[in-house]
Amino acid sequence: MTGALIVEQLFNGLVSGAIYALMASGLSLIWGTLKMLNFAHGEFYMLGGYGVYLGLTLGGLSPLVAVPLAVLGAALVGMLVERLIIHRLLDKPGWDESPVIATLGVSILLQNLVLHILGERFQNVPYYVEGGLSVYGMRMAWQRVLIVAAAIVVVAATVAVLKSTRWGMAVRATAQDRDSAMLAGINVYAVYLWTFGVTAALAALAGAMLSPIYSVNPWMGTALLLKAFIVCVVGGLGSLGGAILGGILLGTAESLTVLLWASEWKDVVAFLILILVLWFRPAGLMGSRQW
Amino acid sequence: MREAHVYLGVAILVALVPLVGPDPYTVHVLTLCLLYAALSSSWNLVSGYAGLFSFGHQAFFGLGAYVSALLAMKAGVAPWLGLVIGGGAAGAAGLLIALPCLGLRAPPYVAIATLGFAEICRFITMNLVGLTRGELGLGGIPEMPAVHLPLFGTLSFGARGLPYFYLILVIYVGVMAVLYRLVRSPLGLALKAVRDSQDAAESLGVNVKRTKLIVFGLSSVIAGVTGAFYAHYVLILTPSSVFSVPIMVEIVAMTLIGGLGTFVGPSVGAFAVTLLLEYLRVLGDYRLLIYGTLLIVLILLMPAGVVRRILGQRVS
Repeated sequence: MTGALIVEQLFNGLVSGAIYALMASGLSLIWGTLKMLNFAHGEFYMLGGYGVYLGLTLGGLSPLVAVPLAVLGAALVGMLVERLIIHRLLDKPGWDESPVIATLGVSILLQNLVLHILGERFQNVPYYVEGGLSVYGMRMAWQRVLIVAAAIVVVAATVAVLKSTRWGMAVRATAQDRDSAMLAGINVYAVYLWTFGVTAALAALAGAMLSPIYSVNPWMGTALLLKAFIVCVVGGLGSLGGAILGGILLGTAESLTVLLWASEWKDVVAFLILILVLWFRPAGLMGSRQW
Repeated sequence: MREAHVYLGVAILVALVPLVGPDPYTVHVLTLCLLYAALSSSWNLVSGYAGLFSFGHQAFFGLGAYVSALLAMKAGVAPWLGLVIGGGAAGAAGLLIALPCLGLRAPPYVAIATLGFAEICRFITMNLVGLTRGELGLGGIPEMPAVHLPLFGTLSFGARGLPYFYLILVIYVGVMAVLYRLVRSPLGLALKAVRDSQDAAESLGVNVKRTKLIVFGLSSVIAGVTGAFYAHYVLILTPSSVFSVPIMVEIVAMTLIGGLGTFVGPSVGAFAVTLLLEYLRVLGDYRLLIYGTLLIVLILLMPAGVVRRILGQRVS
């Protein structure tokens, strides 16, 4: 085992970690504002992947156009889901659990819709940039470097927006105390709508960036959704910093398992980390006690 | 007691159904309905009554199935004993995973911790190819051996026949009887108190930890027994057929559509969803598309479940 190999594996772990962080921050934002788990989150990731596939191979667009279009499309679907389904369940009896079935239904529906329209074949998406970076005998494909860069920029932008814009303050106020936020004149229903749009966009971006590395298929979101849930909980649900930290932690742990043991056990390690963290830190690494 | 008579009547009616139309497919579908009714009711005990929203119930179902099947195949243990041991193994696993979960107050943490546990079970079963044959599937599981009953004569379990239907009916009625008594016992009242307000219940002297542990263990035992039955009924197991998330999705769908935290809700939901999924097969490829849409429509129309919609909000 050479040093270069170890660094390469760690870098691959960082790539997975960046994707996990993108997915988990969306789940965390939704939990923060709406206090619900979104089981359809993986499908926005899938829509992002298919959006780019369609744009690049059928539309002949450049990735610079196809990626934003795919992200925008998924965001619209997310807002539609909020307005047509989630909005109607709010404040009704059973709200604690009804979104679980509603979003599971959306997930089954979207998977099978894509399956019907585009078929079950795994489709390949070309790399956005060919070639790679070569430092001291270590090789990193530009596509992977691009993923990490995009994730850093987008997550940093999301944090900045949440911290310093009026919309971000409205989101944080809604997350802290919905009733007080309403009293202060915040339209929480608009906050819910936009939160769904933004989180769907984050998931779609993850799917769009990753699709050249893995091929796209209707079920690609399912396994990633489970991982994103782990990341959220390990980091602390509702905490964006926790989602980032948890994502990188999980990605690194997985690549180390592949390096030192065998790739078929990496998922077992991931879930064991989850259970151990919850055992010793029930609110997650950066979560607050109230949850 | 009047309520109990109603349940008894329904059970007898269900028992008579296969005699009216002994078409093997109908019997098979009804067997599945009862299996899911028992499984959903056991999940409802944890999530509906104890307020621990577990998302890993498939782990106990799968453990019961694999433990009983492997014991019968490798050690020659009789499947009748396998039902008991499978249930016991699942119960022990339930206690093990309940311990770290008890410190978690927020529903999503419990859901994801239990989901993680179930996924660990699935991956381990998948990776231990030498023992379980992994995704190739564990085939050649023995059927339930024949029993000699004083009044009915010998009951031999052929390929997916009527005797299996009666066996699952007995299991189902037994499960419901245990749950019926439990919900009305002091433990059941403690459970309701914990669900409504954990702090208030604790201040009144309810031992929250012990109550939740007992309930989680019992619910896992039931899931394990149904799993063991399933193994000796379908005779082939794969990790993705018993340990996978879609099973949990069905349990959740059945319970929530029927009515979480109601006594009959999970059974109503189990029959509704199983029949729906089976008879939607005529739609071919459109089946899951329609299923997803129906789930959304049903929850929009009845966010608190069918049973509460019909009998009013305060039913429990």
